Amino acid sequence: MKILSRTLTFNILIKKLLILLVGSFVTLLSHAQAATNVIEPPKEFDPSSWNWVNIFIIVLVLLIVLVIARAFDIGGLAEKISGRKIVSSHKINGYVSLVVLILGLFGVWWELVNHGKFLLLWDAAAEHGADLDSMFMWTFGFTFVVFIITEILLFYFLFRYHYKEDRKADYYFHNNKLEIMWTIIPAIVLTFLVLRGFTVWTKITQTPNKDAQEIEIFGYQFGWKARYAGEDKLLGESSFTLISGTNPLGLAVESEATTLKLSLESEILDLKSILASSPDSIRLWRAALNNMESKGLSNAYVEEHKLLKEKVLDGESGAYANQIEKDIMRKETNVKRVIAYLSKANIFNKTSYDDRVTTEIILVKNKPYLFLFRARDVIHSAYMPEFRVQMNCVPGMSTVFPFTPIKTTEEARISKGNPAFDYYLYCNKICGSAHYNMKIKIVVLGTESEYQTWMLAQAKVVSPATDAVPTSAKDSISVLPTIVSNP
Amino acid sequence: MSTVALKEEDSHTHDHHHKESFVSKYIFSMDHKMISKQFLITGIIMGVIGMGMSMLFRLQLAWPDEQFGILEMLLGKWAVDGKLDPNFYMGLVTIHGTIMVFYVLTAGLSGTFSNLLIPLQVGARDMASPFLNMLSYWFFFLSSVVLLSSVFVETGPASAGWTVYPPLSALEKAVPGSGLGMTLWLVAIALFIVSALFGGINYISTVLNMRTKGMSMNRMPLTIWAFLFTAILGVLSFPVLLGASLFLIFDRSFGTSFYLSDIYLDGIGALENVGGSPVLYQHLFWFLGHPEVYIILLPALGITSEVISTNARKPIFGYSAMVISLASISFLSFIVWGHHMFITGMNPFLGSVFMILTLIIAVPSAVKAFNYLATLWRGNLRLTPAMLFSIGLVSFFISGGLTGIYLGNAALDIQMHDSYFVVAHFHLVMGSAAIFGMMAGIYHWFPRMYGRMMNDTLGYFHFWITFITAYLVFFPMHFMGLAGVPRRYYQFTLMEDFSIWGDVNKLITVASLVGGFAQILFLYNFFNSIFRGKKSAQNPWQSNTLEWTSPIEVRLHGNWPKELPTVYRGPYEYSRPDRVEDFFPQHIKDEGFPEILITTESKVAPKKVVLEEPSNVFFTAIKRIFGLSR
Repeated sequence: MKILSRTLTFNILIKKLLILLVGSFVTLLSHAQAATNVIEPPKEFDPSSWNWVNIFIIVLVLLIVLVIARAFDIGGLAEKISGRKIVSSHKINGYVSLVVLILGLFGVWWELVNHGKFLLLWDAAAEHGADLDSMFMWTFGFTFVVFIITEILLFYFLFRYHYKEDRKADYYFHNNKLEIMWTIIPAIVLTFLVLRGFTVWTKITQTPNKDAQEIEIFGYQFGWKARYAGEDKLLGESSFTLISGTNPLGLAVESEATTLKLSLESEILDLKSILASSPDSIRLWRAALNNMESKGLSNAYVEEHKLLKEKVLDGESGAYANQIEKDIMRKETNVKRVIAYLSKANIFNKTSYDDRVTTEIILVKNKPYLFLFRARDVIHSAYMPEFRVQMNCVPGMSTVFPFTPIKTTEEARISKGNPAFDYYLYCNKICGSAHYNMKIKIVVLGTESEYQTWMLAQAKVVSPATDAVPTSAKDSISVLPTIVSNP
Repeated sequence: MSTVALKEEDSHTHDHHHKESFVSKYIFSMDHKMISKQFLITGIIMGVIGMGMSMLFRLQLAWPDEQFGILEMLLGKWAVDGKLDPNFYMGLVTIHGTIMVFYVLTAGLSGTFSNLLIPLQVGARDMASPFLNMLSYWFFFLSSVVLLSSVFVETGPASAGWTVYPPLSALEKAVPGSGLGMTLWLVAIALFIVSALFGGINYISTVLNMRTKGMSMNRMPLTIWAFLFTAILGVLSFPVLLGASLFLIFDRSFGTSFYLSDIYLDGIGALENVGGSPVLYQHLFWFLGHPEVYIILLPALGITSEVISTNARKPIFGYSAMVISLASISFLSFIVWGHHMFITGMNPFLGSVFMILTLIIAVPSAVKAFNYLATLWRGNLRLTPAMLFSIGLVSFFISGGLTGIYLGNAALDIQMHDSYFVVAHFHLVMGSAAIFGMMAGIYHWFPRMYGRMMNDTLGYFHFWITFITAYLVFFPMHFMGLAGVPRRYYQFTLMEDFSIWGDVNKLITVASLVGGFAQILFLYNFFNSIFRGKKSAQNPWQSNTLEWTSPIEVRLHGNWPKELPTVYRGPYEYSRPDRVEDFFPQHIKDEGFPEILITTESKVAPKKVVLEEPSNVFFTAIKRIFGLSR
């Protein structure tokens, strides 16, 4: 009897918990809807304006919870009346598993109907995409069949073979034929997938078309730049050492390098004078801090007090001077490297002068491209899902990806029925606080002439007015641009 | 005879052990059972923290433009006006991953159950080195404290993702979390590795050397096999991560350039570092990182094998095949790390090699899944909460494992790398599956740990709610990933293409909140049952294995009061036709030859099958594969 009352209090407890759970769930949902204003107040009966997703979840969760709760309730009640165990929990769980199986299959179907059309974003916009997509469909076919069959079996077994006292399980612990069968069949299927994957992968990554136009994609915190070769069809050399405010890609431009050298030298001088006067300034800060504290102003100006105190502590511990010394050293190394570059005549061969640095990537349909990736600070990943292209941009390492776009932006807009649609290149490797907003627009044009028009409108790195027209330098450097190695 | 006498003497000294103080009994305990409880409870606490973090960032993803007062109340300056700070979002993602992978699913799962079950199931009085075992826990504890302290650092926790790829993790100026927060992360991981190595060495030596009489390797429960392989994986691969993090510490603090080259940072200028390679770090990290996946999964699979067999009242189907697939998964896991790096600019040919090796792993995995199904077939399934969680594991293992076939394929990985598809894949196959394995273990061995039963009804609710919400959370993510939605984005509203997923994101968040709060049922059940649960019988699940022969009522350092049990057969002799009961414990001697098998025709139990006692698992299996035996 004691146990019985215990189970009863238990049932009550469960009910309370359930009410709490469902209650909080509903509140949350209503809060969310009210806040985001997802649903306009429906003026007339219009089911398409309802938020079917939320309704679906509520119904699903409620249904499941109710079924389970009812089942246990009936069991508890019957046991209370008869005083002995009637409904076994095994049986209830068996039935629940059947319900969950059916709901689960329904859920899979619902997902496929509603989101299946987004699988791999309709058709690929690049030539190799078709191979990749068919590879995907094969894999999807195999895995989906296996998924459905095994999950159905699993939950059906749960229902079919749930515990009965008068039954004994089969004493059946191995079967060579079966085991060999389900080793060999997956092995055959996987061999097929491996071979296919191997061919597709090799085809995509093989040595690119020699006629492919090279475009440098430059990733930095937090944005992208594209660099096109100018009339000489050559991308000029570049180095991270040469990066400055006016030369964001670190291109080999002699005037920029000279300016950088001068400004670095003056910065070093400034830092040295700051370092020389640092004991005095630390003393001044200390005096100011003492003054502030003695007047009791530290409470009125909390932030200022905190900053000042940090400065004083840094100064007195030597960290301040240390940091300045480090900065000087780094800048001196930088100057040395810039000077070393300046002394190498063949780097500043003016091939980069007519390059175009753009904030959009403009491509032409059916034209082969080779993207050369470069990163300024941390690893980024250039991800163009519509083109089935992704490659990491690694500082200190050049990576490439060859592809050919086959669908213009206009065509994509029409096929998607979205006139505002645009291709984008996203960053897909965690790279800092604004990682989620690091993208560059890609436009695929229909004809080469449109591209040429656009190209001519872009500013050159060094405009001819300020510098001589670059001489052809085909003999001095290789066709593939390399990132300058450090002297 | 002399050995028995010696053993009796042994146990004698154990019986009248000196009185233990509170500290030596509960805190610096050297009893493997107490250490396993310490691992478990620390793991549960870390799990609650890690899951709480995921719920916070799920809120952000579902309602990015919404202000939640509660966030500001909880997080202060990291959620001004109730909106999560992007840097702190990254920090949450990083710490969530680290906690779940290392602290919950490595230490909390393998630490708990290896400690509890290895000595009890092989019939040993304790671990080979109880002292190392204690150190293992306390290094883990220290490591947890250091890791959590990184959340309270002014510049924020480590926020370069749980893989902490340099240069992002090496440069404080690249992201604020790479300051002190990252240092603490590295220290925590170094301490954790020390703990994992102490534990691993201990597990291996205990399994190899301290098995009781009759417990040959081929009579070991599959749990022990799984723990053995897990420990071997850990001992071989964790040191590599230690090396990787030491290099990273050098790069951060001592000006070396292992991973850094050609970097220019805004506000600093060009760095001096040249010649290093960030890809080197990725190779080193994933050399641990991939075995780590199996370090997490194998114990869960071992637990599942044991729980399913016991509750199906049926021998596990294909014991040798199970062991061999465990072994081959373990071996292969060392040579497939490159599939995490297909698009890092690695040589494409190397990529194809890694692709082939990776897809081979699917074969032993498929064997395991089918063997589980075959074990359930025509069983007499006792649907206890532990059994349900094991079934849940099998379900996740199948659905998450199948998507591995996509991701292991280099060509498809171009599109799916670092998308939500990856998130869905590993949360199902490694996250949910392993958590469900851990839950199965907790529900199954709770009586062994605390001498009391957990409440079944609460367990059922816990299972069904968690199971359904886990699928609701992770299943739609496959579709997002296939549509090219990148992971680790703070919000999607700035990208027009991804804003169509707003509703799905809300669904996922709501499901994750429901699933998260459902864990309160478990927590209540767990802690309540420790003190007020129904007293357990000696062998509540009518199981065959040795842990249920050691007295459950009293806590006994040394496990068995008298001599150690002797083992006469394998652990999965359930529902033998010649027995009245449907189980036949390993330590009970077989009285005479099973007459019934010789005289009666039995379609399911051919004569020789029962008597078969493979002397060598591998050899027998190889014979079977070529059809040489019988």
